Amino acid sequence: MFKQNLLLLLISFFLFGGTALAAQKTYINGIDANYPPHAYVGKSGQPEGFDVEALDWIALKMGFQVKHQPMDWDAIVASLLAKKIDMVCSGMSITPERQAVVNFSAPYFSVRKVLLVNADKPLSKEEILKGNKILGVQRGTNEAEWLVQNREANGWNYTLRYYDSAPLAIEDLVNRRPDAVAVDSAPANDAIKKGGKDVRIVGEFAEADDFGVAVRKEDEELLRLINEGFKLLMQDPFWQKLQDKYDTQL
Amino acid sequence: MLAYLAAVAGEAPYILSGSLVTLGVVCASLGLGFCMGVPLALAQVYGLPTARRLVAVYTWFFRGTPILVLLYLFHFGLFDALNLNMPALVSACIVLGLASSAYQSQIFRGSLEALPAGQFKAARALGFSSVQSVRHIILPQALRLSLPGWSNEYSILLKDSALVYVLGVPEIMTRAHFVASRTSWHVTYYILAALLYLAITALGLKLLRLLEKKTRLPGYNL
Repeated sequence: MFKQNLLLLLISFFLFGGTALAAQKTYINGIDANYPPHAYVGKSGQPEGFDVEALDWIALKMGFQVKHQPMDWDAIVASLLAKKIDMVCSGMSITPERQAVVNFSAPYFSVRKVLLVNADKPLSKEEILKGNKILGVQRGTNEAEWLVQNREANGWNYTLRYYDSAPLAIEDLVNRRPDAVAVDSAPANDAIKKGGKDVRIVGEFAEADDFGVAVRKEDEELLRLINEGFKLLMQDPFWQKLQDKYDTQL
Repeated sequence: MLAYLAAVAGEAPYILSGSLVTLGVVCASLGLGFCMGVPLALAQVYGLPTARRLVAVYTWFFRGTPILVLLYLFHFGLFDALNLNMPALVSACIVLGLASSAYQSQIFRGSLEALPAGQFKAARALGFSSVQSVRHIILPQALRLSLPGWSNEYSILLKDSALVYVLGVPEIMTRAHFVASRTSWHVTYYILAALLYLAITALGLKLLRLLEKKTRLPGYNL
């Protein structure tokens, strides 16, 4: 008798407990884990960062599960379209080129694009752009594209050198191979403040960028969840706490 | 200096556990390469002309295309077109395995061709079927002969496995990269990665050398 009851209990647990769990859909968020402080792999080996924590908060509030999947930035849109991941919430700039293939959430963060040089080099922004300099930049980013597209029209003559990640570009600047590097203000500040790199910001280029969460065009439900989630998050004190924690204010 | 070492020691376990992923990728792809390489070599040596030509095309394709290109091509192209939603780890093992099978087939072909032609004929004359001759007479000798070349393939594949970081497989190189990005100590963690690869290479080569000694037949000479 006891055994039968136990069996019934187990069955009902699997049936009802199972449906309760299954109701929470799991989405996979692809991240560029080489982009501190927005997304990186923490000491524990788990994904961390401003964007990661923001999305975790939203998932909890909006009732879905989220798994963060570190991957190569170059292939991240291809991975999204190939359904290897469901969204990209990892410091992705909203650009017309990307908007042609994916949908973006409302902007949730804004970064400036900056030029970095060695702290002891008296280079100005003009000299970097017009002085036949070698300029480092991360492959597959919209700043790389902008620097190519606006080169001729402005009479600039830098040579671009491509890197795997923004921190790697900054590392090579410290090694004095490129004359300057062009990166987002977020990883630039991280390298200066936390990494203690002996480099300085000489100026900005292009327009400030807005970060949005990218989802596939047909995933309208997910986009709605994310947009509503960010609306709630920005009204919550946690939003300010996140910015303080990751020191994202310039 | 002490603080530096302590910090590196704190990060090491995460990168170290990446060597399990690396080992998994290497073992799986070496295994797949072996299982496909032996039949491919047999087909190329004993097969009909059509089979030989097919194997030649196969090895030409996989030996002639960079692994990096193959990884992108299969993970984002072929597997997607076939509607197979492969995890990156599986894609990596399959691509490295297919590429390795092309190289391994040539190692085995070399050994098969090094055996005196009379061996196969003698086995047939003694009443062995052709499958039996290959299974009991040819392969035991050919595989022993292949071991040195195969060890070479192991160490090459181990290093090729670092390429799968482009798919985000969390192996040694991927993890070293992640930690380097967070800490801004790039060279430190690349050195750590290099040491890990060296250790795994040494360990594997040692084991294969042992296998070579274990399987050696006293007094056997071709």
